[in-house]
Formats: sequence, C-alpha cells, structure tokens
Amino acid sequence: MVKIIIAVFTLTFFVWSDNAYERHCVSCHRELPTSLQRMFMYYLEIYSGEKSVKVALKRYMRNPFRDVSVMPELFLDTYGIKQPLKLDERELEEAIEIYWETYQVHGRLK
Amino acid sequence: MSVSKSRATNSLLRSERKSLIRFLQLYVGLVILLLIALAVIYYEAGKRFMLSEQRADLNQYAYIQTKRLKALHHYFDERVTYPRDSRFRSAIFDNEYHEIFSLLKQPKINFKQEIYLKDRKIHFVETLDEFYLGTRYLVLEVDDDGVWSKLLWRNILAYGGVIWLFFMGLGIFLANRFVKPMRDSIMLLDRFIKDTTHELNTPLAAILANIEIMDLSTMQEKNRRKLERINAAAITVSLLYKDLTYLTLEQEHKNKDEWIDIVTLLEERMDYFRVLSLSRELSCQTDLERAVIYMDQRKLIRVVDNLLSNAIKYNKRNGTVGIILRQGSLTIWDTGIGIKEEQKEMMFDRYMRFEESEGGFGVGLSIVKNITDEYRIKIEVVSKLKEGTRITLLW
Ligand code: HEC
Repeated sequence: MVKIIIAVFTLTFFVWSDNAYERHCVSCHRELPTSLQRMFMYYLEIYSGEKSVKVALKRYMRNPFRDVSVMPELFLDTYGIKQPLKLDERELEEAIEIYWETYQVHGRLK
Repeated sequence: MSVSKSRATNSLLRSERKSLIRFLQLYVGLVILLLIALAVIYYEAGKRFMLSEQRADLNQYAYIQTKRLKALHHYFDERVTYPRDSRFRSAIFDNEYHEIFSLLKQPKINFKQEIYLKDRKIHFVETLDEFYLGTRYLVLEVDDDGVWSKLLWRNILAYGGVIWLFFMGLGIFLANRFVKPMRDSIMLLDRFIKDTTHELNTPLAAILANIEIMDLSTMQEKNRRKLERINAAAITVSLLYKDLTYLTLEQEHKNKDEWIDIVTLLEERMDYFRVLSLSRELSCQTDLERAVIYMDQRKLIRVVDNLLSNAIKYNKRNGTVGIILRQGSLTIWDTGIGIKEEQKEMMFDRYMRFEESEGGFGVGLSIVKNITDEYRIKIEVVSKLKEGTRITLLW
C-alpha cells in the first residue's frame, strides 16, 4: 500500500514537475520512430526562421493535414496524421517555445 | 602691321572679353562634368566586370557550401562543426535575416544585392531553396585585392588626360574662332584710323595756325563769334587727332617719366580748353592744391585732356566743370548727362560711345584707362543720370 502511494506520488510529481513540452509532446512522441529533433530539422528546412517555424508548428498542432505535413509520405502512410491537440493556447505556446529552444541551431554550431 | 595686330588683340572690348571668359568657364565646367561622368561610368562598368568574374567562382563555392550545409543538416546535432573553407568565409541567415552562424569579417550585409563590394570585401548572397539548418541566405565573403581598381584608376587618369587635352585644344580653337571676327573688325578700324590720321595732320595744323594769327580787333562782333566757334571745333578735332596719333603711333614710344607739377599742367590745359568751354557757356570751378606725380608728361596730358573734354562735351549749357586737385588725387566733375550704372563697366571700352549725337570714335576713355592702368592710378567714377559725372584719379 505504502509502495503504491509512493509510486503514485512519484509519478504525479514526475508528471507535474515537468514542463509543458515534456508533459504534452515528449510522452506521446516516444512511441514514434522519428525523433522530435528530426521533425524539428524538417521544420527548419521548410520554414527557416523562428517566427515562421513557430507559427507553422502551432498551425499544424491545431489543424494537422496531410498536405501541410513535413513528414515523408511513407511515414504518414504508416503512422497516419496526428489528432489536433487539445491544449489551451498558453500551454501550446509554451510547449512550442521550449521545443524551439531545445533544438534551435543558433548558438550550437561551432 | 604686326605691332598693330598685337595691340588689337589686347584691346578686345571688356564686355566681349567677359563673355569670352564666361564661355570658357562654362566650357571647362562642362568638360570637367563630362569627364567625371565618363570616369564614373567607366569605373562602375569595370567594377561590374570584376564582380561578374568573381561571381562565377563564388557561385561554385556557394554550391559546394550548400552541399556541406545539407550534410550537416542531416547529421545535426551529432555533428556541430560549421564547414569552413580556406578560399572564402561564409555566414548563414534565416528568412528573418537573423544570423545563424557567421565567419564574416564585414558583418553588414545587403541582402537585396546578389553581389557587391564593400570595404574591400566582396559579398555574394545566395538564396537557398531548401533551408538547411534554417538557412535561407548563404553569404560568402572574399577579400578584394584592389588590383582591378588600381588598373581602372590608371586608365581613367591616362584616357582622362588625353580627353582633357583634346577638349582643351578644342576649347582654345573655338575661343579663337569666337574672337576672330571681333579681332578682325577692331584691326580694320585700327588700320583705318591710322591711315586717316596721317591725312588729317596738315589741314588741321593749317586751320589752327590761321585762326591764331587772325586779328580779332578789326573784326565785327558777329564774325568774331563765328571764328570762336570755328576755333572750338578745330580744337575738338585736334584733340581727336592727338588721341588717334597717341593710339596708333606714340603709344609705342618709350616713356619719359619725370616729376610733373600738376597745377601748372592743369592751368595750361584749362587755358587750352577755354575757347571750347566758352562756346558752351560753361563756368569753371577749381580748387587746386600743389601736387606732383611721376609720369610721362604726354600721357598725363592725354588723361587730363580727355577727362576735361568729356566734362565739356557732355555738359549741359551753362553748366559747370569742376577740378579738385590734392596730392594723390585729381577729381574732374561736370553737371552733364551722367551715365547709367550698367554702362559704367563698359565706359572705358574702346569704340564705346554713349551719346551718338556727339562725334568721336570713343577712344578717349580707353586711352585714359590704358594710361592709368600703366601707372597704377585708380579711377573712381560716381555718376548720376542727368545730374553729372565725377571722375577721380587716385595715385
Ligand atoms: C497524441 C500524441 C502526440 C502528441 C501529444 C504530440 N504529437 Fe506531435 N505528432 C504525433 C504524431 C502521431 C505525429 C506524426 C503524424 C503527423 O505528422 O501528423 C506527430 C508529428 C509531429 C510533428 C511533425 C509535424 C508534421 O508536419 O508532420 C511535429 C513537429 C510534432 N509532432 C511536434 C509536436 C509537439 C511540439 C507537440 C507538443 C506540443 C506534439 N507534437 C504533441 C503525435 C503527437
């Protein structure tokens, strides 16, 4: 019993202590063969700058369509299009912000 | 004849010389402008040529660099080393012109131009279709050795010099063409006057001598008046004759400079003009202090005679001629017709006459100017139309 309580407690703690990005994006994406890092690079390749990438990400999270997806056809055939995310605005923006900060290229090249 | 030719050239009318100078100024200005325009066009064309040669290389570098970026993009972030090349420096920018990474020495970039030169660095801006690492713009930079520029400058100076010489030659040629008709007419007039003066001498001397020896006491009042008028007219002609001989012959003589007592000289000249001023019923006001000047007497007489005869000639009936003499200045004034402000400038020009009704060749004041210039005597003219003229010599 104590074990369960501790387990539940740690789990909740784990879940709530993480940021919006960890909570909403990473968990689900763990299942996918293409990493979030790769997907980010696809976005960079197509949308280039920070504002454009963020706007595009947000739009796709709300309205995922096959013809705007950056993923290869083969991937989409296997995994399908994701469901529109039902996050509130603030959290989505926060998640995307963290996503950008995590993978952006500027300052990491040597 | 060669003597008279050189003199004629020197005696171009001031107004004409002025427009000649203005023409030359305009001409030189235009030529300079033209040369600058040509130089700029030539330099720009040379620069564009140099850049277009560079463009071929840079295009290739850009292609290579893009490939490297593509590879890095795919292996990011296991690999994070930006690809470097000894032949050029490069930088990458996203579509919002934010720098992603840069090795450039000159960080200011003009994204609107594909290739340009700035601060001795050539920038080449390549726009990518696939934004590897988010790169929308790839900027390459190479150093400009400046050899092309030196070469261009050398050519500009050489060709510019040749063109300049050509145009200056042309300008002198044109100016000569421009001056020639004037010079011709002045020379013609000079020669004409010279020839005529010779013929005037004998009859004039005869008239004057005969008037001298006429016995006025036995003459009727009416006839005496007439004789005085003849005398005055003869004196006027004689003055003109002296001016003309001065112009054509005596001018070339060497100066016999000496100290001259001006009061004595003035009194003598006034005496000479008495008949002339009487015929016009003029009165004379003099205010003479002792003064001397070191110059050729003949020339001083020409100056004084001309100023006095003008003061008499252009005076009104019953007017006044005034003479004021101080050491260092001589003023001769009249109550005559005066001259217009805009004519003042030209009044010392040769063959310039303001009153067509008065005879003469218009050489008098040009002689005055000529002589006063020679002796560095300053002339001041104050004149009011219809009130009179006041000419002061300062030495
Ligand atoms: C419910 C599971 C799930 C969650 C939660 C989720 N994703 Fe995804 N995501 C997917 C799947 C499945 C795909 C692949 C299908 C597709 O691309 O639509 C995908 C695709 C993507 C892509 C590629 C988009 C494209 O153009 O194809 C990006 C980027 C992405 N996710 C980012 C995020 C971010 C950021 C979050 C958090 C705000 C997030 N995802 C949350 C399931 C999820």
